[in-house]
Order: sequence, then structure tokens, then C-alpha cells
Amino acid sequence: MSLPELLAAFATNLAVAALSAAAIQGRLSDRPWFATFRSTANFVFIVGFVCPAIVAFGGAFVPILSGGGVDNYWNFWTQWFASNALGNLALGPLVVVLACEGPRTFWAQNSERKAEALLIGTSLVVVCSIVFDQSAGQLMRSFLPVLFYLPVPLVIWSAARFGAKGASAAILVMAVVLIWRSLGSNLFLSGTAESNVFALQVFLISLAIPMLLLGSSIEEARQANQQLRQDEERMAFAAAAADIGLWQHNPHIDPFWATDHCRAMLGLQKDPPVTRETILSAVHPDDRALVDDIVVGTRDSQAPLEFRVIMPDGQMKWLQAKRATNRNAAGAMINTSGVFTDITIRKAAEAEAELQRWELAHLMRVSQVGALSGGLAHELTQPLTAILANAQAAQAMLSGKARNLEDLAGAIDDIIADDLRASEVIQRLRTLLKNGKGEVEAVNIHDLINSTLRLLNNELISRHVKTKVMAASGTDFVEGDPVQLQQVLLNLMMNSLEAMMNTDAWRRSLTLTSQRINDQIEVKVVDRGTGIDAGGEAALFNAFFTTKERGLGLGLSICSSIIERHGGSLSLSNNADGGATARFCLPAINA
Amino acid sequence: MGTTDFAVFLIDDDPSVLKALTRLLQTAGYKTKTFSSSEAFLDEHDPSVPGCAVLDLTMPGLDGLELQQKLANKATRRPIVFLTGHGSVPVSVRAMKAGAVDFLLKPVKRVDLLEAVGRAAALDKVARWADEERRSVYAVLEKLTAREREVLTHVIAGRLNKQIAADLGTVEKTIKVHRSRMMAKMGVRTVAALVRLTQKVSLEPYRTANLFGPKANSTDHVNRAQISAHADSDRGR
Repeated sequence: MSLPELLAAFATNLAVAALSAAAIQGRLSDRPWFATFRSTANFVFIVGFVCPAIVAFGGAFVPILSGGGVDNYWNFWTQWFASNALGNLALGPLVVVLACEGPRTFWAQNSERKAEALLIGTSLVVVCSIVFDQSAGQLMRSFLPVLFYLPVPLVIWSAARFGAKGASAAILVMAVVLIWRSLGSNLFLSGTAESNVFALQVFLISLAIPMLLLGSSIEEARQANQQLRQDEERMAFAAAAADIGLWQHNPHIDPFWATDHCRAMLGLQKDPPVTRETILSAVHPDDRALVDDIVVGTRDSQAPLEFRVIMPDGQMKWLQAKRATNRNAAGAMINTSGVFTDITIRKAAEAEAELQRWELAHLMRVSQVGALSGGLAHELTQPLTAILANAQAAQAMLSGKARNLEDLAGAIDDIIADDLRASEVIQRLRTLLKNGKGEVEAVNIHDLINSTLRLLNNELISRHVKTKVMAASGTDFVEGDPVQLQQVLLNLMMNSLEAMMNTDAWRRSLTLTSQRINDQIEVKVVDRGTGIDAGGEAALFNAFFTTKERGLGLGLSICSSIIERHGGSLSLSNNADGGATARFCLPAINA
Repeated sequence: MGTTDFAVFLIDDDPSVLKALTRLLQTAGYKTKTFSSSEAFLDEHDPSVPGCAVLDLTMPGLDGLELQQKLANKATRRPIVFLTGHGSVPVSVRAMKAGAVDFLLKPVKRVDLLEAVGRAAALDKVARWADEERRSVYAVLEKLTAREREVLTHVIAGRLNKQIAADLGTVEKTIKVHRSRMMAKMGVRTVAALVRLTQKVSLEPYRTANLFGPKANSTDHVNRAQISAHADSDRGR
């Protein structure tokens, strides 16, 4: 080769290297290398096709300079293109990986992988050598193309196991061995050495491109798979940390998919499949129908379902289930997925709070009874006085000379009536002191108002308060706990009485009304006391807010929560003509 | 036991208590009349009817203490027995100071009630008897002439006829005549009996503090006014 030829060859080779490097640097720098089909395809197109093609326009002049005919330009171009493309495709990936990641990529693999790589490499060298030895023996010419395919499984193996890097390394080994053995040997009987090499190059390029793409596709799939597994592990970990059990159910396949934590929450073993039966067997017998319907069944539910499960050790847990149904475009159910949340602690806290509310309400009732005790004692004393007087009168009648049996019977009748009256007072008192758990029943508001007034009877008399009741008798029924509702009425009335302490005696009056407004029963307690301080309405319902010298500030707050638990609302307002009105509404029922 | 015209007025807002107490008092032979409120009692109240009131302390409208106050304002001396379910010490002290006969707690025992009512009846009787006596003394005093009344005040002051004559500026003989007429009209023979009689109407004796000479007929005026005032008020009962 002459100097200009060498220079031109050198220049074009330099150009292809520089161009490829620039292209890789500029366009393909997304790492990791050859991890996706797309980046590998780009690499193949740019480095394996565009760059060699461009540089081949210059390279084709080298043979012309050495005396080749200009007519053969396109032949020379093709030879240049093929040799550069093969070089780029076989060496490029390895160079890039080695340059950027270094040999540690290889050494970082475990020993099995290293051994596998070495096995593939050795096998390739051996197989390729055998192929050439066989073909060089000129024995089976017609069999030759088939022999060339013998190394292909090894290349595929390498691509499958080591991705695009493996594929390119295998291609490189193949190319080196094949080209080394073909130079100087008479592999192809017909044609020149150049055409033989060209044929080899085309063969290797056509093998390299699909192998590189295959390797990167496999790599991509493997990475996606790994990513998926990681995501799943993270999700399961997060769900377990948040005490959430995840599950999914396809109506056509019984076993559920469920996280390990989900199984643990249901108290199920890790191994056997989770089926409808195993889930239901863990659920509290009373809740099975609900769970069967909403969790396993097909009914959509917006509200979360709360249910109990029995652990293998007999402990009871509260779980909350939320479910979503996935449907295809046609609206048919594909599957259902949902979460179980452990709400045992919340349930326990709720029960505790509920218990405390009951206790508090009960204590307030007890203190109300304390405040009323004087009046209640009087209520009891009256019948007792009558009983004693009647009994002693009867005694006197019996010891007297003229016994009038009719008078005697009258005295005894009165004793009985008064005794019953006294026991009614005690009954009312006992009801008020009872620490009931809120038995719900139909309550007649009219009767409730009247019985509350009877409790307050003595208080009203000694405070010189006139009362007026405006209530439709026998029609206004609400559903609730009569004890608690009476407590509310009693509290509101007592407040009214205290507010009227400084009102002129002739003005003191308490008006109680109840009326039905649509499907609500409205009850009003109207007094003529001092009213509510301007702007203080909102604070009245706060716990521990009080305007009384010796108030606890719990009365109205408890009243309000009682009314709210009965599905109603309590409000206070000032009257136009003085005093205040306490008003509450409760849902009416038809009894 | 109860006298025929003596009545127990029962005032309580509880009809069954009224009924039972009525029955109880009737076994002891008392006449009773029941009222459901203080107002109803006051409307029908006749002071001339002998009797006592048995009052509940706590009642709608006027309560027991207020009713007692009302009766006192009217200067009617009706014995009151309080009956209450919850009597406190201050309330009972107030009631007793205002002249209540007794303050009983409900439920009341027969003996206690009858004892209190009996005491009230006795008090009422004594009061009425004293009233009667006072009225008769006033009636006699009315019959005296001015001079005889004047002499009377001097006599009950323990003065001798001679002293009286000197005080009134007349002779002893004249005084003797006035004195014997006065004693006859008063229906007494001795000065001691006269003193007892005049004490019943709290008649003031002639003031011997008047050592520096006789006062003009001023004492006479005072006494006359005093007597007629008493007579009026007693008639008004």
C-alpha cells in the first residue's frame, strides 16, 4: 500500500471511529447500555449503519487510489461499509461497556456466571474452529451453509443469558475466529479472498443485528421483571407496615391472591390457597353473610364494611374491608380487589369512648338527681304523709266504738293509691339513676315532657314558676333512649329555672312545646330568664364552659351529644321578649 | 276532745294529703275544712270562727310563711301549726318567732298532730276567753263617767282618798262618793279585785311620778283615748 492509501484508510477509519463515538456520546448516552430494545436499535442504526455508510463514501476511494477502477466505486463502498459495520457492531458494544463500566462488570458477576461466560466463549471458539476445519476439508461443500449455523445456538445462549453485551461478545469471538481462519485458508473455493471475507462479514452482520436486539430485549424483559418483583416487595412491605392486607379475586378462579400480611390478618396459614371457604371460616359467624356478599360476592359497595374475625387463638379482631370492582369496557367484571385494615384498636377506643360518654351522662344524671333531691323527697313525703295519716285514722277507727266499715275501706283504698304514687316517684328516680346502655324504644314526647315536669314539680312550686305545656298528645313519637332524652329535657328545664332566679316572680314561666314538622319532632323549652350573652351561643356547647357559679360546664355539651346520637340537633337562642329558647329536633317515627 | 264549734283549717296543695288528714282529725272528733291554696283560705277566712290552721310550707302561690305573715298583718290571732316535708332550722325559727304553735315534719304521727292541734285549740280557747273578758271590762269601763274613770286610775295607783281629793282639787267626801259608785259599777268590792280587772285591759294607773304638782286633765284624755281604742279593736275581731 502506498502512503496516500494508508493515509486515506487511516483517515476514514479514524473518521468512522470519531463519528461513532460522537454519535454514541450525543445520542445514546442513556444508561445502562443496551438495556432496552430501543437503545440497542438506535445503536445498531447509527453505529452499525449510518456511520459506516457515511465513512464508506470516503473509504471507497482507497482501492481506487491503489489502482482500482472508478467503475467499481460502489463495490469498494460496500466492502468498506461492511467491514466497518461489522467492526462497529462486534467491538462497539464491548468498547462502550468497558470504557464506561470497566471490567468490573464482568468481575462483579458471581462465579457461576463467570464460568458460564467462559464456557460459552470456549465452546464458541471450538465450534467455530470445527466448522472451519470441516469446511476446509472440502468434504461437505453442499453442507457448508448449515455448518455455519452451528455457532448460532451458542450466540443465542449468550444473548439470552448476558443480554446485548453477551451477544456482541459472542459475535466478536465468532468474527475473530472466522476471519482469522478464513484468511489464508481456502474456505470458499470460488471467488477471491475479498469476496469470501465480504460474505463472512455479511453473514456476521446479519447474525449480529438480531442477536444484539434479542439480547437487549431479553435484558429489558428481565429488568422489567426484576423491577416488578421489587415493586411488589415494596408494596407488600409498605402494606404490611401500614397493617393493610391486600387481596384480589377473579370470580372465575376461586383462590384469592392475597399478601402474606393479609393471610396473617385473617389468621390463615401461609401455604394453602386462600379461598372463599377459608376466608369465611375465619370470619365471625354473625358477619359471614355480609362478608360473603361484599368481599367475595359481586355486590358493589361504597361504604367500607366492618367485620370481625376470630384468630386461631380465639382472639377477636375487627377488620375493615374496602373493595373495588375492575370492569372491562363492556362493563363485565374482570376481578375485584380490595384491602383489609385492622381497626381493632380504633374499635376498642371507640367502645371506650362510648363507655365514658355513658358514664359521664350517667354521672350528670346522678348530679341532677342530687340537685332535685329536696323536691323529690317532698314528692315522696306527700304520699307517705297521706299513708301514715290514713293508716292511723284506720287504727283509731278500729279501736273506737262505732266502726264504720265504709270509712275503713276508704282509708285503705287511699293508702293503696298513695303507696302506688310513692312507688311511681321511686320508679322515676330509679330510671334516672339507672346506668342503662341506651335501650332504644319508641318514646312518646308528650308523656316524656309530662313525666319530666313531675320530677321538677316541687322545684317549680318553690321557685314560683308557672308552666305551660303545648304538645299534641299521643302522636309525636321518636325513637331513642327515654332516660337520656329525659335527661336532656331535665337539664334544659333546670337551666331555664336557674336563668329565671332573678326574674320577677309574676313573670317566671316555663313553656314546653312539641310539634311535628314534616318528619321531625321539634321540642322547645321557652323561659323568661336572663337569656344568653350575645356572641356566647357557640361556646355554650363546649365542654367545661359555664356561666354558672357552680356549674361543671358539661350539661349542654352532654345534652347536645345525646341529641346528636339520636340523629337530631340542639340549638339555643334568645327570645324577642326576653328569656331564651332551647330547641331540639328529632326524627319522628310512626308508632 | 274537740269542742263542737272548733274547726281545723287544713291548707295543702296535695288533695290526698288533705283527705287523709281530714280523716285522721275526724277520728279525734275535730271538724275540718280543707283548702288547696293559701289564697282560697284567705278568701273564706272568718276570724270569728274558732279554729286553728294546719299549713303546708311549700305551696304554689303564697307559701306557708307568707300566709302566716298575711294573717299577722290583719291582726287576726289564728293559731298556726306548720306541716312540712323538709323543714330547715332557719325556716322553723322564723315560723316559731312569728307565733306558730308548732312546726311538724311530714309524715306526721297522729299523737304529734293531735297534741299540736289540741294545744292550738287550747290557745285559741284561752285567747277567745281572754278577749271575751277584756270585752266585758271595756263594756263596764264605758259606763263610767269621766270623773269616775279619773278616780279609778288614782285608786289603782294605790292613792288614798285624801291624796286623790288634793290631786283633783276637791274634798275627800266627793271622792268617796265617786269611788263607791265606780266600785259598784265595776262590780268589785276590793281594790285588789279592781286592779286585777283593769290589768286585763292593761289600764295604766295614775302616774305618781308627777311629784311636782298636779297636771291638768291630760292623763284623763290619754286614758280615755286608750280605752276606746282598745274597745274598738276588740269589737273589730
